[in-house]
Amino acid sequence: MTRRTIGMGLALGLGLLTLGAAGACRGGGSATPDGALTVAMMPKNKGNPYFVSCRQGAEEAAQQLGVKLLWDGPTETDPAKQNDVVEAWITRGVQAIAVSVENREAMSTVLRKARGKGIKVVTWDADADPDARDAFVNQATPAGIADVLLGHASRLAGPAGGEIGIITGSLTAANQNSWIAEMRKLLPTKYPNLTIVDIRPSDDDRKKAFDETQTLLRVHPKVKVVMAIASPAVPGAAEAVKQSGRKDVGVTGLGLPNASKPYLLDGVLDSAVLWNTKDLGYLTVQVATALAKGTPIAGTTQFPGGRLGQLEVRGDNIILGTPFTFTKANVGGFDF
Amino acid sequence: MPDAAMPASAPAAPTVSSHGQRRLATPERVLLALLVGELIWFSLAGTNFLTLDNGLEILRASTEVGLLALALTPVILTGGIDLSCGALLGLSAVVFGAIWRDAGQSITVAAAAAIGVGLVGGAINAWMVAGFGRPALIVTLGTASLFRGLAEGLTGGAVNYSGFPAAFLHLGQGRVLGLPTQAWVLIVAVALIAVLVHAATIGRGLRAIGYAPEGARFAGIPVGRRLALVYLLSGGAAGVAGLVYAARLGQARADAGTGFELSAITAVVLGGTSIFGGRGSVWGTILGLVALGVLTNGLRLADQPAELAGVLTGILLVVAIGVGARRGRT
Repeated sequence: MTRRTIGMGLALGLGLLTLGAAGACRGGGSATPDGALTVAMMPKNKGNPYFVSCRQGAEEAAQQLGVKLLWDGPTETDPAKQNDVVEAWITRGVQAIAVSVENREAMSTVLRKARGKGIKVVTWDADADPDARDAFVNQATPAGIADVLLGHASRLAGPAGGEIGIITGSLTAANQNSWIAEMRKLLPTKYPNLTIVDIRPSDDDRKKAFDETQTLLRVHPKVKVVMAIASPAVPGAAEAVKQSGRKDVGVTGLGLPNASKPYLLDGVLDSAVLWNTKDLGYLTVQVATALAKGTPIAGTTQFPGGRLGQLEVRGDNIILGTPFTFTKANVGGFDF
Repeated sequence: MPDAAMPASAPAAPTVSSHGQRRLATPERVLLALLVGELIWFSLAGTNFLTLDNGLEILRASTEVGLLALALTPVILTGGIDLSCGALLGLSAVVFGAIWRDAGQSITVAAAAAIGVGLVGGAINAWMVAGFGRPALIVTLGTASLFRGLAEGLTGGAVNYSGFPAAFLHLGQGRVLGLPTQAWVLIVAVALIAVLVHAATIGRGLRAIGYAPEGARFAGIPVGRRLALVYLLSGGAAGVAGLVYAARLGQARADAGTGFELSAITAVVLGGTSIFGGRGSVWGTILGLVALGVLTNGLRLADQPAELAGVLTGILLVVAIGVGARRGRT
């Protein structure tokens, strides 16, 4: 009988101890005074270095604004996880929810529910249905990306201009094609001495990008700039130019810093364009906080983005601004 | 630790089960104590934890795993296992989407097809385990891969069925008589499985199979038919859970229900059902399910990162089983 009581006590004690330990290793928010706004922010995947980098910016903004930031999301492939976490945030009663949406259909339903309860909803990185959120933090517009890429190409080609060869993703990839369309619009007006002579597919494969770049250099020997506009294509194209020994050919492109890093440091790759992930996280918390404080965004033209300055608002999209360029000098500060 | 649960204790079978009917058996009481601990802690640490709405949300979020866990209870009672139920949930959700959208059939036809897929999947497991006497662990490991593969093949891994009519979504997102709609499905399942395991003579037969299949055969229990029934039920439950999942999330994708089989097994084992078979109850499974659901929900409301739930589930399992085994021996 006594042993039974001891057993029960032991179980209860251990249970409480366990939960006490849970309280001790707090992971999400930083300590802020009570009464502060709580902003809950969700990546697609907590382990992905891309999102880890976004979180740094988000924490910075939260500290600056004095809001409590909850950062949580899936760690494994469970498509229901994002929904479950948002459901809990709704029950908990946060003032704003910011989500990078993995499953558009499923998330939109639960985000509408959050809005119905008066919680401000922001999407960032990947959007939900427009009626499911108050604003979308748009990391880059096709026109912005096209302009920065052509700027680098123009600098590499020199004052005389010249031929550009593009290594794209697949020939049907919507993102890449929208950037190419924007480049074609810009060329005659802003960069009249540049011409796109060839667009070859890499199918998001590094080896294929390597082969296609070799072909490009043989078919168009006068090409001055190779532009690789899919992340896996950047190292492939850079490797091909490196092996060709053509010092007169410059390489630029759009890609993740870690994939580009060896070639940036090597000097073969001049620049890799993407958005600044820390700024993306920073701006998202700025937007979520502003909405939670009742500042209207849709219908205005500018948003004060803290250290990012005044940013353009288009409809209910807040544009992060000019894409960010990774170079030999700054790539060491990024890890994703 | 596991010796208390080994088939070696077979002669004790009738005592344990009649004991279990009179009052809550040991592991269940340990679990109840842990659950009370959870409730106390989270009502202090969580925000809006101890509210009716939150209780109903926990119920809503637990229904799919709950259906799988309930149907797994008789399977594990016979000393078997069904690792394929999570994958089968995914397959039936995808088939539901495909029949409704691609084949242009009504929701009713599509739902019937989804449950049909669950039953066929369960029948394959039943056929291999009961008919050929193959080990359930290996069989269902294989069919898990098969079902998930079929779901991925059917959708090319990319198609996401969505845009279901509101009447169907009500099953996963609405309320009926104050409770989440799917909770009623769960209640019906509880009643069915409780009768099967505790009221009907079949239940005693299932325990006997779990203790000693050969002995059960000599005692005149139709072992093959009983085994076939529990695997078929598990498949059917996966089919229904697939529908509830699609209705709750408003989408059906090939990765639906990934890992749900493990959560379901955890709930069953946490509830004191012996993984070696012969011993266990539906009430234990329900307690296990609630303990897991409250833990996951409470941690989120206490602003803890989601992965902590995995760690604490492990600790809960070890504590509950460890204490249960010690007490079971005395």
